[in-house]
Amino acid sequence: MNETKVRQLKNGRKLRFTNEDLWGYIFIAAAMIIFCVFTLYPVFNAIYTSFLEYKPFGSEFVGLQNYVDTLKYSKFNLFYKAALNTLVYTAVVVPLSLLISFTVAVMILPFSKKTQSVFKAVYYLPGVASGVALSVVWLWLYDSSPDGLFNQLLGFFGIPAQNWLSSTKTAMLSLMIMALLSSHGTQIITYIAALLGIDNSYFEAAELDGATFFQKVRFIVWPLVKPTTLFLMVTGVIGSFQVFMNAYMMTGGGPDNATTMIGLLIYNNAFEYGKYGLACAQAILLTIVIAIMSLFQFRLMGVDVEY
Amino acid sequence: MKKIIALLLACVMVLGLFAGCGSSQEPEETQAQSGNQETAGAQGDDSGDAPEEDTIVVMAPPVTGNYLASLKVWAEDFKKEYPHLTVEVIETSWGDHSDKLSTMAQAGEAPDIAEISSGALGTYVEMGVAIDISQYMSAERLADYDANALSYMSLEGTVYGLPLYLTIQSIGANKTLMEELGIDVAKIQQEGWTYEEFLDVIKLGTTDERFGFVFANAGVTASDMLNIFGAGCGLSNNFTEDLKYTFTSDNMLTLLSAIEEMTQSGYMPNYGVEAGQRMVMCQTGNAMIFGKAMPLFENNFRTNNAALDANDGTAVENSLKMDYAFLPVPTMMGCEESCYGTVDGLIAMRNKNTTDEHLENVLLFMDYICSGERIASCMNELYLDPVCQSGRDALTLEEGRDPDNLETAARCIAMVEAPPAGVTAEMTATAKKLMDEQIVPKFQLLLAGEATAQEVYDHICEAAYAAFGEENCVSGKIG
Repeated sequence: MNETKVRQLKNGRKLRFTNEDLWGYIFIAAAMIIFCVFTLYPVFNAIYTSFLEYKPFGSEFVGLQNYVDTLKYSKFNLFYKAALNTLVYTAVVVPLSLLISFTVAVMILPFSKKTQSVFKAVYYLPGVASGVALSVVWLWLYDSSPDGLFNQLLGFFGIPAQNWLSSTKTAMLSLMIMALLSSHGTQIITYIAALLGIDNSYFEAAELDGATFFQKVRFIVWPLVKPTTLFLMVTGVIGSFQVFMNAYMMTGGGPDNATTMIGLLIYNNAFEYGKYGLACAQAILLTIVIAIMSLFQFRLMGVDVEY
Repeated sequence: MKKIIALLLACVMVLGLFAGCGSSQEPEETQAQSGNQETAGAQGDDSGDAPEEDTIVVMAPPVTGNYLASLKVWAEDFKKEYPHLTVEVIETSWGDHSDKLSTMAQAGEAPDIAEISSGALGTYVEMGVAIDISQYMSAERLADYDANALSYMSLEGTVYGLPLYLTIQSIGANKTLMEELGIDVAKIQQEGWTYEEFLDVIKLGTTDERFGFVFANAGVTASDMLNIFGAGCGLSNNFTEDLKYTFTSDNMLTLLSAIEEMTQSGYMPNYGVEAGQRMVMCQTGNAMIFGKAMPLFENNFRTNNAALDANDGTAVENSLKMDYAFLPVPTMMGCEESCYGTVDGLIAMRNKNTTDEHLENVLLFMDYICSGERIASCMNELYLDPVCQSGRDALTLEEGRDPDNLETAARCIAMVEAPPAGVTAEMTATAKKLMDEQIVPKFQLLLAGEATAQEVYDHICEAAYAAFGEENCVSGKIG
């Protein structure tokens, strides 16, 4: 069919717009309208707003001023500190999170389908709960008083109580622990799906060669789930760069702005100080950084990955 | 056929997504129009020129426990007086009110009337959505409101809103325990106290099981401690009368040193205490004095005592029966006694439908709910005095309130210093940003014992000089 169409085109005949094509476009339209209204339009509007000193009634065009204000280095400009905090958070949380998810998925795999489903449901459960509810629970866990749950646990090992969320030494670590222990559901399910897709003959061959469990994981499983790892890493980095809820609910960015993330900074500029233009400029810069990071990851990890 | 069904389903899905995007104005208008017809019909015989129908949108959080329910009743009462005016109430929670209002204002769809704290006024003025209400309200009605409270709702001489109440924030205590320890609570309430006297008292109240003092200082609540204790140290406002920034003065260093001393003394916890914990710590006997506290907390203690008597399981777990004392904040550096206060009020806001006629109606309703018996009933719930004459005239105090607390609250309200005239919206916005991004974060370090008072002070000075210029910041002592 395709060959016929190509040939027809080479012969100089016009490609006919069939009834089937029309239906195709009509069905695509639903998704396209949603995409244009809720994704494309806000993005272009944000780009436009980033060049304004935005006011609901009479914005003023300020050119690149919002970008200059964001990037102008000063000891008191929080953008760089927030960027560094976000980078550190991402660098620790994303790889560790992938490692934990991969390990859990490998451990779940040998079980029966029913048991697997139970584990998948259990690990996915925190993802169903609202971020706010989870934060409230974690605030309770991180209670800095000696009666706090984590502090009691430390006390059991003779370690003094920690000022979890109020000390620069532990605040970021606390957010990282929270992220590492409460959001693996999707990653584990994705990894299990990838693991199930590996042909059993590889393992049978490896067993005949006398490969150990870790050798099988290293030389068979890990390379074959690389496309999945790449996908999870790229989406993980994107999500991590946009992290907001944890810092907003748990620390408010403190102490000493040690947990102020880019997402929180943008939110504060937009909704606390009414600086919509500045917030949009920072959001656009964040988008550019995320795009570069994603490209970098594809280049670095995606060399031998068909994706 | 399958294609058509699938297409229909796709259309329904798309339309469903857009269903929430339409203006809610239409049904209201339809409702208003039908109301108009009825009203016109009812009034048709009396006058041929009926006033135009109008809808006023009010957005408010639960200012008191009954506020939102009362607001609806007031809206109905108002409708009886002005049949052509319909009031629509948007209820919010304290948690989402500011964000929701900010988002609506930015979109040009702000409600006609919104509750705000005076500290946020500058943001809305800068945004260009706050309205000069004096143009749409008679001078006689405006004069009903106390000038001091009204000045909180003003910037650069322009009045943007009406005050609901002037709330005072200070410290509270387990009065029963203090008296058992031989502390003259009544004297403190009547005459105030110095920081040194305060330190002696919290030392006396500290045992292995109990802190003499606790202050909710976790996260962003840290700023409360600066503001409340700052009032006793000559730092009631961000700017002096000659419009110089005050947090760079020697008073600030004294305040920070005092807080450093308190946190290191062992008389108060050296870890972050969440807002919800501080009163519970007092009620369970784990702390004697707590902050921040307000006069209305007397009601919490009374309710808890009643629950303990009734033994119905509603009392705070492990709590003890005790009386509550509202205390003034201690003074430092020989500064005059003062109290930290803010005004919460209602402002008129510009949106896409704003006209002069509409604003007159808006102000009519705003004045209606900020004055008279409406505000008097709210103030009874909040244990505060009304800030308008008509409210005071209508106020009948509930029985059973502690006279010492009442007197202390009245004394503290009288001590609250309004912001100086001439402070611009830009200055307010800069001071807020400085507080949120530089002062509070460094102050959190001091509370965590990771920076000294001098280090924090030096950073504040450096940041303030960068923001306002050194010549616009106070050096030396205030007061």
